[in-house]
Formats: sequence, C-alpha cells, structure tokens
Amino acid sequence: MKSSIPAIVGKEIVHILRDKQSLFMVLTMPVLMLLLYGYAITLDMQRITIMVIDNSGTPQSRELIRHVSSTDFFRISKVDSGIHDINTLFQSRMALCVLFIPGDYAESIISGRQADLQLVIDASDPNAASFIQNYMGKVTSEEMIRRNGTEAGLFSVEPRIFYNPDMRSAPFFIPGLIALILILISALLTSIAIVREKESGTMEQLLVSPVKPSQIIIGKVLPYTLLGFVDGVVILVLGSLLFDVPIQGSFLLVACMMVIYVVTGLSLGILVSTISQSQSVAMLAAITLTILPSMLMSGFIFPISSMPRAFQYFSRIVPATYFIEIIRGIVLKGNGIAQIYRQAAVLLGIDIFLITVSIRAFRIRLE
Amino acid sequence: MRRIIAVVRKEFRQIRRTKAYIGIIFIAPFMQLLIMGSAITNEVKHIPSAVLDLDCSPHSREVIEAFKAVNLFDYLGEVQSRQEATAEMDDGRLKLVLVIPRHFERDLSRGIRPGIQVLIDGVDGNSAGISLGYINSVLAKVQHDWVLHTAGQSTASINLIPRMLYNPDLDSTLNFVPGLIGILLVMMTTMLTALNIVREKEIGTLEQLMVTPLEGWQLIIGKIIPFTVLGFLQFTIGVLAARIIFAIPLRGSLPLLYAMVGLFFLSTMGLGIFVSTITQTQQQAMFVAYFIIIFMLLLSGFFVPIQNMPIFVQYLTLVNPLRYFINVLREIYLKATPFRYLWREAAAMGSIGLTLLIGAALRFHKRLG
Repeated sequence: MKSSIPAIVGKEIVHILRDKQSLFMVLTMPVLMLLLYGYAITLDMQRITIMVIDNSGTPQSRELIRHVSSTDFFRISKVDSGIHDINTLFQSRMALCVLFIPGDYAESIISGRQADLQLVIDASDPNAASFIQNYMGKVTSEEMIRRNGTEAGLFSVEPRIFYNPDMRSAPFFIPGLIALILILISALLTSIAIVREKESGTMEQLLVSPVKPSQIIIGKVLPYTLLGFVDGVVILVLGSLLFDVPIQGSFLLVACMMVIYVVTGLSLGILVSTISQSQSVAMLAAITLTILPSMLMSGFIFPISSMPRAFQYFSRIVPATYFIEIIRGIVLKGNGIAQIYRQAAVLLGIDIFLITVSIRAFRIRLE
Repeated sequence: MRRIIAVVRKEFRQIRRTKAYIGIIFIAPFMQLLIMGSAITNEVKHIPSAVLDLDCSPHSREVIEAFKAVNLFDYLGEVQSRQEATAEMDDGRLKLVLVIPRHFERDLSRGIRPGIQVLIDGVDGNSAGISLGYINSVLAKVQHDWVLHTAGQSTASINLIPRMLYNPDLDSTLNFVPGLIGILLVMMTTMLTALNIVREKEIGTLEQLMVTPLEGWQLIIGKIIPFTVLGFLQFTIGVLAARIIFAIPLRGSLPLLYAMVGLFFLSTMGLGIFVSTITQTQQQAMFVAYFIIIFMLLLSGFFVPIQNMPIFVQYLTLVNPLRYFINVLREIYLKATPFRYLWREAAAMGSIGLTLLIGAALRFHKRLG
C-alpha cells in the first residue's frame, strides 16, 4: 500500500485548506507574536521611580541628586526632606526605592570621612532590586571618583564580550522566541488531528480501510511539517531583519534543524491526540505540556544554570531547551554541526520516540 | 433562577463525567506549580568559568584565589591557551574566562598598569552584565587590599547601605510563585469556558438550549457558575501549595485576595465565552484562546517588568486582565497592600469582565432574534 500515505496527506491538506480561519491564524499568529513580543521584551531596566529624601540640603547633596537624575535608569518622582512612611509609599507604588541623604552628608564629604547613604528598595521584585542596588552603587562610586580626582587602579579590567558585543536583549530573545513560537504552533496543529476523527465519527472509515496505523500517523504529520517549516523560515528571516540579529552560521543548517524541531512539536501533538478521549481534553493537555514548560524551563528567559540541580535535569526533557541551544549557537556564535550535533541527536531521538509511541498507542486504540 | 440552577446541574454532571478533567484541572496545575516554582529564578548563579594564567606568579595566583571565592561562578579549572578558551566558549562549556597577561607581576612592580582580560559569553546580556559587575567589584577589592598593603591613605568615601524591604534575601520564589498561581488560573478558566460552549455548538446541543425558554444571559450565568467554583478550588490548592511547599507567607488579607480572584474570573470567563461566540469549531476556539492566552502571559509582567517595555506595548497591556491580577497577587502576598491602593486593578478587571460578558450575551441574543 504505497499510495496510502499520499492519500492521508491529501485528505489532511483538504482539511487544512477548508478551515480558512484556522489556516489564517496559523500563518499570521507567529508573525504577530514575533512582532509584538520582539519589541516588548527587553530586560534593560529604565525609568525606575526613585524618591530622594535630602536631609542635607547642601550644594554637595544637590550635586548627588543631579547625578542620580542624569541617568536614564532613574526617574526622580519627588525630592523631599523629613520623615516618611516608606511602607505606604511602596504600597501605593509611588516609588520603587528611596534614597536617604543624611544631615551630615556634606560635612563628611568635605572632611574626608565616610558618608553613609541609605537606599531602601521595594524588593518584591528581587531582580529589579539587585539592579537598582548595583546601579546606585555605580552612581555613588562615580561621584566618589569625581570628588577625589580619578584614581587609576594598579591594573585595569578589560571585558571582551563574545557573540553579542553590545549585550543587547534582541540577540538573546529573538532566537529563543522563534523556538518558543515553533513548538507552540506545531504541537497545537496536530493535537486534535486524530481525536477529531474520533469525535466526528470518521475514525470508523479509517479503520475499515486497509491503512496501517504508522501510515495514518505519518500521513498526518507530513503536511503540517511543511506548514510549520514555512512559519519557521518566515519568523527567522523577519526576526533577523527587523531586530538586527544577523545569522552568523549557516542558514541552511538552521532550516534543517527547524524541520527536526517542528516534527518534535507535531509528534508531541499527535501523541496527545491519540491518547485523548475528546478534543477539549486533547487541547488542554497540549497546552499543559507546551506553554509553560517551553516558556519557563527552556532557558528562554530564566537561565537553566541557575536552577537547582534536580530541576536542571527536568529542563533536559523539554524539547525547546535543545532547540534554543541550537539556534542561539548557529545564529549568534556561528556554530557548525560540530558544536550542535548532540542537541540535534537528542531532538531526533525524541521525534522517533514520540512517533513510535503514538503508533503503538494508536494500534492499541484500534484493538 | 430555577433555569439557571438546571444549567449548573447539567454542567457539573458533564464535568464529573470527563475523568481526564480531574487530572487537567487539579493535578497538572499543582505539578506545574511545584516544578516551576522550585526551578525558575532569574538570579545569576553557576556561571561555568575558567582562568588562563599566562604569568603564574604569586600575584596572579592571588587574583585567581579571589576569583575562585565568588560563589556566583562555577570554577572549572585553568585553560592552557586562548584557542582552548575560545573553543570551549563556542561549545558552550564555558561562559567566562579570566585572562591574566604575561609579565603581570613585573608590570605591577614597575607601575605599568597591566590589563586583566575578561572573556565573556554575551548571548545572555543580562547575566553577562551581572557577572561583569561582580568581577569588577572582586578585582577592585583585590586592588584595594594591595594599595592598603603598600600605603594607607584616607579619602572621602560614600558608603551605600541598601535595605531590601519585603524580601530581604532577594528570594525570587516569593515573587514567582504568586505570579504562577495567576498564570495557571488563566489557562484553565479561559480555555474551559471557551471549549465548553463551542462544543455544544459543534454537536448541536446549543440549538436545543436555544429553543428552551432560557434567556442568553441565564445560559451564560449557568455556564459560568460551575467553572467559577472549579477555579476557586484551583486557586485554594495554589494558595495551600504556596504556603506548605514554598513556605510563602501571605502578608495581606485573604478575603481581599479571594474577592480579587472573583473579579479576575469575571474577566477570564468573559473572555472564554466571548471567544466561543466568535468561533464555530472547537479547533478554532482552541486556536483563538491559545493565542490570546500566550499574549496574556507574555504581556503580564511575569516575564519582563512592564515598565521595561516600549510605551506603545505598555498601553496594550492595559487591556490584559492578567497584568492586573499578577500585580494584585504580588502586592497582597508580599506587601500586604490594602484595597485602598488596589482599587484601580479591581475596577479594570471588573470592567473588562463585564464588557466581554455583555458583548457575549448580546451576540447570543442576536442569534435568537
């Protein structure tokens, strides 16, 4: 039965083309996601609201305040003196931090003693809090150097930043975003491909036809592979051009890897579809298995190396983890096959495993 | 009222019949909270790093010792050449290499400022920036000690004393777990309501409901009540898990939190029902709901603080109920913020919910007329 796979493929293509609304969404959503999120996502903090309580009121303290306000990082919401209820200030979210300049600030500076500045930070977002602390540390040490005349150290520290010399957010996020969008779309595409047949009663027709389970599964995955691949290439090219992320390595290699990865998503969807009783269960399961793990556990934003050891192993069963390493490697570091073959092999392994399990489960369903 | 109760009964029967729902509604979110709440952090830790010591002198070893003592880095040993350092970085095995130049000690003693190079993987600019900041402060301290050793002198100095309110240990779990509860709730409530109604459309039972003397709004309320009950159950599980597993104290008022959850459900159920009125098949409803949920998650302030986003995107987040809810969860959990400072969020969630529900009821109504 050589002709059966093409027959299934044909049937599935008809189905894809018939549902114009879904097709339109599958082709436009990835682009929309890329655009919206590509612009929205940046970890460069700026315009942090700070309140300054200046109990010194001297030219020296005003100079420090000027220094704070001259950065893009801080936006001074208010300069005041006296005593304030910090808790109320933070609860009403008028400011994220408060800088106290003590009454003896100017004297200490002039007489060469240590001046103590207190910085109270709303640390409910700890990441923001440590940034604020570091940044204010920078401001005060610059202020110090300015007052004492520059003191060159005994040796200098020269950073050499590889792969992303300006440390921009886009090169980090855009490849990750592509990985995220691809898995979300491809798992969604097939999550109902099988269960739909069950609910609409066409399953029986498939069962009485002489088609093998493996042919049905593969026939269902193939047309979507093309769809997912087209999506992938479009967002890769767009993301690269719009957000100025040049592809250092081989475009062809990224494209090949994309096919492997799209199939991972599709086979995940097929498996969910095969073992689910109803469409709604299949969809909920697909969502549970894709959205959060791919967003949170893949290294897309939150670094895997910072996770507790046990959970680092967990991130190793999330397919997006591997593809993010691959695509960042090729696009940003100019990696060739030599550096990424391990990740590619794992993805291929996952593909074969998921498809095999789907075929098995499908066969059991039949009996 | 009797009619509404009849709808509620029917829904509960259906939910009970679907065995997989129990797993999807209660077990999956609980597991996700457990795993992701324990795993994710945006702290920078365990940066795999090495040293290339081209000087091998007492001074260079002192620098290396200071570098090894920083617990931010996982020190993996020394590399033998620049080529090796670069290759290891290309492979992703190393993210940072400190290079101490030849004649480092000799130059120091002659007063020529030698330069220590820091080779760093800048792919994740955020982590790279934080690592560099650390290295700078460590090396500054080394220099400071050496200077004090040779000649002590006093100059004016500014000492910054930070005080971290609400989260003194900068533990990111405190921030992430309440946010995660919100994320898990949005996924289930929106999806379940959207799929439930469209399914009735697809199998034709909605038509039957339409010919009964049931009004559009009664049907909607009857559909919302059971899912709201499920949602509150889910939320309670989340609160207990946060308490028992992650030991996250709820500093604010629990009744206020529940009232806010109610308002949030109004908006997510409204969204789900609205999606069901603009789609014809479960597949379409799923696609629309799926994308709306992804946008809601990404633009909620959970991943990236909203004030970091460009202004036009910030305006977009104003119609996102999850944005308000995550904010409310964090405020009440961590800062015990009273309603006085949260009424804007409450009003926003309530009005988004009412707008969507009224819109959906009108669309139902139209189809009957």
